[in-house]
Amino acid sequence: MGMETRSFPGNVDSLDPLREHIGALAQQAGLSKKSTYNLKVAIDEIATNIILYGYQSEKIDGTYRLLSEITENELTVILEDDAKPFNPLENKLPDELDLSLPLEEREIGGLGIFLTINGVDDFSYDFSTGKNRNKFVMKVA
Amino acid sequence: MAFKIDSVVDEPVAVLTLVGELDSLSARVFQTEIEKLSTKTISVLVLNMEKLDFMSSAGLRVLIFSKQKIGVGLNIIIVKPQELIVDTLEKTGLHHSVTIVDQYPE
Repeated sequence: MGMETRSFPGNVDSLDPLREHIGALAQQAGLSKKSTYNLKVAIDEIATNIILYGYQSEKIDGTYRLLSEITENELTVILEDDAKPFNPLENKLPDELDLSLPLEEREIGGLGIFLTINGVDDFSYDFSTGKNRNKFVMKVA
Repeated sequence: MAFKIDSVVDEPVAVLTLVGELDSLSARVFQTEIEKLSTKTISVLVLNMEKLDFMSSAGLRVLIFSKQKIGVGLNIIIVKPQELIVDTLEKTGLHHSVTIVDQYPE
């Protein structure tokens, strides 16, 4: 079975239809309500980074693609974009101490990628032929 | 689903009702409401979240922004958040800095 591809414009208005599409895929794959939600959060966070930092702050009017594949045991989703290389796994994640700080002492960054990695069964990244690929895997329980 | 926010201010209490999905687009609307509150004397921020179906880190950042903008002494009360949103608050440790209740006033 091949990958299904869908393209989205590189602006934050695309996040709502993106999450809706993830919801439909998760339903087809048979994911639980909680897994579906966690996957929506993870994809929303990475797509937001692509849109804000990959495209908008670089003044690039781009698109990003969502590739998906459903097998008996898992749903695999890849976000692919043409922005400059950005590996979320190289980002500094908040550690236990950061997460225990009161709100007024919190750093604003890092929470999105933390939620992404924390919420999916597997997350990986690669950059090749000018494209960032963020891959998310959810196992069907 | 579209995001809607409704604000009722009776100093020192501000009650915001959040409906729909809070992502990095709608978080701008939420942040604007918080900025408006920062010109008033607010010590209690009540956030009705019963009908909020989704919250990304952009929403969490507005919670952090609220304390930093309105004041460290601000008491943030979250009313009836959905279970998956409570999960997010717990994972990120933000539940330590807010009060989660079933109804307000109690």
